[in-house]
Amino acid sequence: MIAFDFEYYEATTLKEAKELYEKAQAMDKKVMYYNGGTEFITFARKGKAYAEVVINIKNIPDCNLLEVRDGTLLIGASVTLNAIVNAGFYPLLEDVVKRIADHTSRNKITIGGNLNSQLMYKEAILPLLLADAKLEIFGEEGIRYVPVQEVFNKKRTLKQGELLVTIQVATENLQLPSTFIKRTKMSKVGYPVVSAAAIIKEEQFRIAFSGVCASPFRSAAIEKILNASDLQIDQRIEKALREIPGKIVEDVNGSSAYRQFLLTQVMEDMYRGLEVGK
Amino acid sequence: MEQTERTSVGQPEQRIDAVEKAAGKVKFTDDYQAPGMLHAKLVTSTEAHAYLQSVETAAAWKVPGVRAIITGETFPFHIGPILADRPPLAYEKVRYIGEPVAIIVADSDYQAKQAASKVVVTYKKLPIVHNVQQAFEASAPVIHNDLGEYTKIIGNVYPVAGTNIASRIKIRKGDFGTAWKNCTETISETYSFNLSDHVALETRSARVEINPAGKVIVHACTQSPFTIKKVFNQFFNLDVGSVIVHIPMVGGAFGGKGTVQLEPLAYLASKAVGGRLVKLTLSREEDMTTAPCRIGFDATIKLGVDHNGKLLAGQYTFLIDSGAYSDQAAGITRAAALDCTGPYHIPNVWCDSYCMYTNHPFATSFRGYGHPELTFAVERTMDKLAKNLNMCPIELREINTILPGHTSPTQAVITKNNIGDAQKCIALAKERIAWEEGERLVGENGKVRAKGLSLFWKTSTTATNAQAGAILTFEADGKVNLNCAAIELGQGTKTVLGQIVAEKLKMKLEDIHVTMEVNTQSDPHQWRTVASSTTFLAGRAVYAAAENAIGQLKKTASTVLQCAEEDLEVGGGRVYLKPDPTFGVEIKELALGYKFPNGHSIGGQIVGVGKHIQRHLTPMDKNTGFGKPGPWWSVGVQAVEVEIDERDFTYKILKAVTVLDGGTIINPMTATQQMRGGMYMGLSYAAIEKFVFDHNEEVENNDLRQYGTLRYGEQPEQYTVDFIETPAADGPYGARGIGEYGVIGAPAALANSLSNALQVELNELPLVPEYLWKMKKERRQ
Repeated sequence: MIAFDFEYYEATTLKEAKELYEKAQAMDKKVMYYNGGTEFITFARKGKAYAEVVINIKNIPDCNLLEVRDGTLLIGASVTLNAIVNAGFYPLLEDVVKRIADHTSRNKITIGGNLNSQLMYKEAILPLLLADAKLEIFGEEGIRYVPVQEVFNKKRTLKQGELLVTIQVATENLQLPSTFIKRTKMSKVGYPVVSAAAIIKEEQFRIAFSGVCASPFRSAAIEKILNASDLQIDQRIEKALREIPGKIVEDVNGSSAYRQFLLTQVMEDMYRGLEVGK
Repeated sequence: MEQTERTSVGQPEQRIDAVEKAAGKVKFTDDYQAPGMLHAKLVTSTEAHAYLQSVETAAAWKVPGVRAIITGETFPFHIGPILADRPPLAYEKVRYIGEPVAIIVADSDYQAKQAASKVVVTYKKLPIVHNVQQAFEASAPVIHNDLGEYTKIIGNVYPVAGTNIASRIKIRKGDFGTAWKNCTETISETYSFNLSDHVALETRSARVEINPAGKVIVHACTQSPFTIKKVFNQFFNLDVGSVIVHIPMVGGAFGGKGTVQLEPLAYLASKAVGGRLVKLTLSREEDMTTAPCRIGFDATIKLGVDHNGKLLAGQYTFLIDSGAYSDQAAGITRAAALDCTGPYHIPNVWCDSYCMYTNHPFATSFRGYGHPELTFAVERTMDKLAKNLNMCPIELREINTILPGHTSPTQAVITKNNIGDAQKCIALAKERIAWEEGERLVGENGKVRAKGLSLFWKTSTTATNAQAGAILTFEADGKVNLNCAAIELGQGTKTVLGQIVAEKLKMKLEDIHVTMEVNTQSDPHQWRTVASSTTFLAGRAVYAAAENAIGQLKKTASTVLQCAEEDLEVGGGRVYLKPDPTFGVEIKELALGYKFPNGHSIGGQIVGVGKHIQRHLTPMDKNTGFGKPGPWWSVGVQAVEVEIDERDFTYKILKAVTVLDGGTIINPMTATQQMRGGMYMGLSYAAIEKFVFDHNEEVENNDLRQYGTLRYGEQPEQYTVDFIETPAADGPYGARGIGEYGVIGAPAALANSLSNALQVELNELPLVPEYLWKMKKERRQ
C-alpha cells in the first residue's frame, strides 16, 4: 500500500499532459509522468519513489502507436512489453523484452517505463542502441527527435518535464542477424548479471550490454576491437574487456569478477551465434 | 490395529479443501475487513545493535487517524518459546535491523504507515556481532547482558551468561577419544550456510480485540493457537480461558508460523485503544526480516572408520546462527544434536551444539528443524569419506546404516517399530536414480550428467506431553462432524484426519464434515501443528474418537436390536449384526438418540471423544544427552540427477527421487505431493536461497525482487516418489508423520551430485553458478 497522498490525472493528449505537468510545477509540487505503473507502485510502497502529482499518459493515442509508417517502425512509449512480443515487428527487441520480469508483469510494463526505469538494467534499450533508433520526445519546445544514445547515455535520462512519445526504428534495421544472451544469478526470471544484444550490420558487429556497469552501454571502442579482423577472437575479447566504460558492478546478483568471467563467455557466444569472426 | 480391507485409508482421496481453494474463495486472516476495525503498523529498527536513546512520536501523532502509539516501555518484559529473551517491542536496546520498536494504531492502514515513517528513533550504536564465529570469540560484544537472568520456559536450554551462547547441548555416547585413536581413516570437514526465509505465500497477520467482558479474541495465521493462550496467560496475566484463538486456513507456514510474535503486539495495540479490534499484517519485506527466519548453520564434522569402512567415532560441532533472539533456534540446537549422526550406527559420539546470538534477524523453526542442514553436513562428509576410502558412496552408507538394536546418539534404543527400513529405501532409490548407469557421465551434448544421493532421518522433538484431542458429533442424517485443533496449512491434514475417521466408521470421506477452522474454545487442546506430528497425534485422537462413537452407537443399537454389543458391527452408515448384516439399524436413527414407535427415546446423541498423548518421552541429560526425545525416526533416501554445462556452470535438475519409509501412507496422492513440495523447497533452498547482508547486517535482498527462489517450471523434469510402508505399531493405521521429510535430504543430494559433476567439493550453500565457478577456479589455481 502507498502511504502518501497524491493527485492522479489521466491525460488524453500530449498538450493536456504538458499543461497538467506545468500546472503542478508552478505549484511547486513534485510531479511525475506515469505509464504502466509497475515501478512507481512497487517503489512508492517501499518509500523509494515519491510524487505529489501523477499524470497517466497511457491514454494518449500517440503513445500507443505500434506500426510501420514510411519505412520506420513506430513504437509508442505506452506499448506494453507483451504487446511488442505479440506484434512480431522486431525480433531482437522481442527476444530482449520477453526476458524482462515475468509474463504477468509484462502485461503492464511499458517500453517507455523500462527505458525510464530507476533500476540500472533498462534492457529494452539494447536493440535500440544497436539500431540507432530515434526517440520522439515532447517537451517545453514541443516535439523533438533525438538519437537514443543522446538521451539515455550513462546515467542521463529525459530532461525534467519531458515525455517520451515514440521510439522510431528504420525498418532496414529490424530484421538484421541478431542475438541476445542474458545470464542471471540462477533463475530464468531475474535481473541480468550480464546481458548483451548484438547485430551484424554491413558486416560489422554491433554489441550493447546491460547489467555490467551502472547503466546499459554500447561502446564504439569495444566494437572497433571486436571487428578487428587481424586479431584472434580471444584476443579481441580480452582487449575489449579492457575497454568496458566504467566500473563493473558488484552486488547481490554477482561479483564483478564473476561478471567479467560471464562477459568473456557472452562475447564468445555472440560470435558463435552470429557466425562471424571466423 | 485391524487388518481388514480398507476403503479410505490408503486411497488417493481428493483433498477436502481443493474446490474452495481452486475457486479462490478461502478467506485467510488478512482478508477479513470489518467496520470500525483499526490498523496497526510497526516502526522497526534501522540499526543492528544499539541503545535506544529516544523514540520521538510527536510528528507521528500529527498524522490524521492515529489512535495510539505504543513503545517498549509499555511492556518491558521478555517472552520466548524456550528461553524468554525477547521483548515484544524493543526495550532499551535493539538487536537486529527490522526489530519492532513501536506500534502505530490508526483508522486506516495507510495512516498507520504514514505515521510510522514519522517516528524518530535516536540510537546509540553498539559494535555489531556479524557471524557465529565472531559471536563465539571471548572478545565479542555481548548481545544479551542479562542472559543469566532470563526465564527458561521449557527444559533443555543452557544459556551461558556473559557470552553470546543462548544454549549449549552436549551429546556424549561411548568413548570418542579412545575410539578416534583406533580409527584407520579419519576425515574432518567444515560447512557453512546463511540465514534464509520461509517465503510462505501468506504473510503473517493477526487481529485482536478485547471485548467488554474481558475476553481476548485473537484471529491469527499460526501453527500454535494454544501457545498463544499460554503466552497471553504467562505474560499478560490473563485467564487462559479468556483468550480465544481462531485460525482460518493458513497460506503456508513451514515452521515460520509456529512463533508467537505478532499476536502479543496486536494485543498491546488493542489494549491501547480500549480493546477495539486491531489488525496487524506484515508486508512481504517485514515478513522476511521483522518476523523470524531460518537459522544459519556452521558445522564441523569428524568421522573415523575401521579398515572395513565401519564408522567407529563421530564428532560434531554445530554453531547455529539464531540471530538476535533464541526462539526455536534453541530447540533446533537440541534437535540437531540428538540426530547428529544421521541414520548411521556410530558407537562413539561427541557433539557440541551451540545456539549463538548474532545481530541478524532472529530465527525460528523451518520445515526439517535443523535436519536439512545437519544432513547436508553429514552426507557431504560421507561422500568425501567414501572417496578417500575408494568405496562406492552407497556401499559405505549401506554398511553403516542404523538398524533395530542399535542406539541413537542419545542412546535411545532403535526398534523395528520406531525406525523405518533404511536398507529397502536405499535399494529402491538406487534403482530409481539408475545408479548403476554411472555416477558421472558426459552426454552427447557435451554436458555432464551426475548423480548424488543422501540418506536422512528425523525424530520429532515434541514436548514430552504433546497431545491432541478430537470430538465427533453426529447430524440427524447420520453424517459426522469432526472437530480438532489440527491446523490446515496446506499440508492436507484435515483430509487425512477425515480419512482416518471415515475408515474407522467405514463411511465415505464425503460423509465426514471436517471443520477447517480452529477455535480454541470449542476444539480440544492440541500441542501445535508442527514437527510432522499431526497425523500421528491428532490421527490417534480422531481414531480414538471414532472408536468412542462406535461404542456409543453399539450400546444404543444393542437395546434397539435386543442383542449384546459384542455382536454388533458399524459400517456403511448402519449398525448391524455380525452374523447377519441384513439385521441392523441405520446410524441416522441413532445419531440423536433412538426413538421407539411409542415415542420413548434412549441413548441420546452420539458424541465421540478421543485423545492421545506422547508416551515415554524424556528430556535429555544435560551432560550426555541421554534420553528418549521422540516417538519415531522415519528414514529415507533422496537422490538427484543434474545436467551441468562445465563451461558456464549453469545446470538443470533432471531428476529428483524420494524414497521414504513413512509407515502406512494414509493418502498416497497428498503424501506424494507433499514429498514433491518438500523436495522443491529443499532444492530451492540449496540452489539459490540466502539472505545477503551488508556490512551493517541489513538484509539486502529483503523482497521478492531480489530474494531468489526456484520458480514454477524450474522444478526437476522428473520427480519420483516412493514409499516403503513399514507399519508403525503406534501410529493410526500404522502411519508415521511425514510432513517435513521431503525437504531433508534434497540439499545434500543436490550438493553431492554437483560435487560429483564438477569434481570439486562444495561445502556451502546456495549452489548458484557463481559459487560453482568460484570453487572450480580455486581448485584450478
